Amino acid sequence: MRHKAIFVFQVLSMMGIWVFVLGISAWVIRLIRVANQLKDAETASVAISLVAIPVFLTGASVLTYVFVGLQRGAKKN
Amino acid sequence: MSQDATNLGADEALIKPLHRVSLKLTLLVGILVLLVVNMFIVFARQVGLGLGVTGMNHPVTWGFYIVNFVFFIGISHAGTLISAILRLSQAEWRRPITRMAEVITVIVLAIGGVHPIIDLGRPDRVLNVFTSGRLQSPLLWDVTAISAYFMASTVYLFLPLIPDIAILRDRGGKLRPLYEFLSWGYVGTDRQKRVLENGMTVMMIIVIPIAVSVHTVISYIFAMTVQPGWHSTIFGPYFVVGAIFSGIAALLIVMICFRTAFHLEDYLKPIHFSYLGKLLLIMSLLWFYFTFSEYLTAIYGNEPHEMHIVMYKFTGAYAPFFWGMVVTNFVIPVALLSSPKTRTIPSIMIASISVVIGMWLERLNIVVPSLANPRLPTDTGFYIPTFTEWSLFAGAVALFALGFIVFSKLFPLISVWEMREGESHGVKEVTDRVKSYLPGGGTQAKAQTADSGKASEK
Repeated sequence: MRHKAIFVFQVLSMMGIWVFVLGISAWVIRLIRVANQLKDAETASVAISLVAIPVFLTGASVLTYVFVGLQRGAKKN
Repeated sequence: MSQDATNLGADEALIKPLHRVSLKLTLLVGILVLLVVNMFIVFARQVGLGLGVTGMNHPVTWGFYIVNFVFFIGISHAGTLISAILRLSQAEWRRPITRMAEVITVIVLAIGGVHPIIDLGRPDRVLNVFTSGRLQSPLLWDVTAISAYFMASTVYLFLPLIPDIAILRDRGGKLRPLYEFLSWGYVGTDRQKRVLENGMTVMMIIVIPIAVSVHTVISYIFAMTVQPGWHSTIFGPYFVVGAIFSGIAALLIVMICFRTAFHLEDYLKPIHFSYLGKLLLIMSLLWFYFTFSEYLTAIYGNEPHEMHIVMYKFTGAYAPFFWGMVVTNFVIPVALLSSPKTRTIPSIMIASISVVIGMWLERLNIVVPSLANPRLPTDTGFYIPTFTEWSLFAGAVALFALGFIVFSKLFPLISVWEMREGESHGVKEVTDRVKSYLPGGGTQAKAQTADSGKASEK
């Protein structure tokens, strides 16, 4: 029972990380749209976003990959 | 995990700090808590009364808070960057250092990142960043870059921590549910080790360019303005060099304190301090080179506004801070670290403290003089920090120390699994690697490895 509860919390925390990352990404994309609408420093906005969004996505992807890999590795054992 | 995996033998010394609470430590924690409580009280007062309680005024509208922001973010570069470089280059002496370096990054980044919010006066207005923020402002570049770096550093700290959390989980205790939650079911199977290694490799590769770009972006809040003293093309690399410099110094201070407090002389050996001491010396020379280039360009150009600031630092009101910075960042470390005879642990400690003070002075020298001497025809500004700023500064340093102590009570500050890995097959790996560097060594080493494999099969 306790193992199940902990697993549920782990999955929820992973989902929380994805909500955070996708939220940040959506916010940054909105900022590019604002820059585009105002025709003000569009290139700087795109450049910053090109660095930031992949970092967040890579971080969350690596965490998900490790989480899933560790769960599968434990089951195989 | 097997019984053997949780029985640490001599490496039990690495787990001991988790349980040992001395009177000295209790007293230290008490003092730190008092400083942090004072910080919150003083901050609440600042929120109530406004920024008028600080020494900031017109035209010096940035003071200690932005100085500390740049300073703390700079210190954070120690960790992840050094750890990632040492791991990627397979430097064997990294093993007892990396964890401490990574922890410094995450704690200091969290503290430093909050400073611009303190500087707002109305902290609730930080929400405007999300509702009305625009990427046209370099300040928002900072928000994006620091949060990305924080995310990457936290992941990079967490992944190598998992095997150690699994050891703590299997040893039981009151915190077992927490360790069970954080260990993600790690039991040390080959597949799990491979997955973890893949994840760590990806993070250590991406974290290096992120760390460099973050401090470059931090420099842009100054360099992107046409303010004399700030509008410089070398500010990006200058900030990165300064960040790594102060970061190594902070790491050395933490290592020496931790070594003394928990008697880890067997793990943190003079050789580790010697290597990092040499690195500190190189960074000191590099910092001097950048500082020299920065000021030489300004003096040779002889632009009146620029020269006004240069003279304000050289002979004016900021001369004690400027020359203090040169002495603490260059004269003292170079004098102490140049000779192997003087490159002892106490000398390294003195040099590191000197560099941390010097790098803080450097940030002060960048922020205040340019604001005090604007292009507009106004009187030269003046900035004297009040009790409010000093309290918040002391509180931030106390919060860092407290965060580090709390971490050391929850997780080992020296990576247990990495030390054991080094003991079990690190020596052989290094021997094979060194042989492969030598002429004809690649084939010889391979043949020897194959031979030893056959022998063990037999």
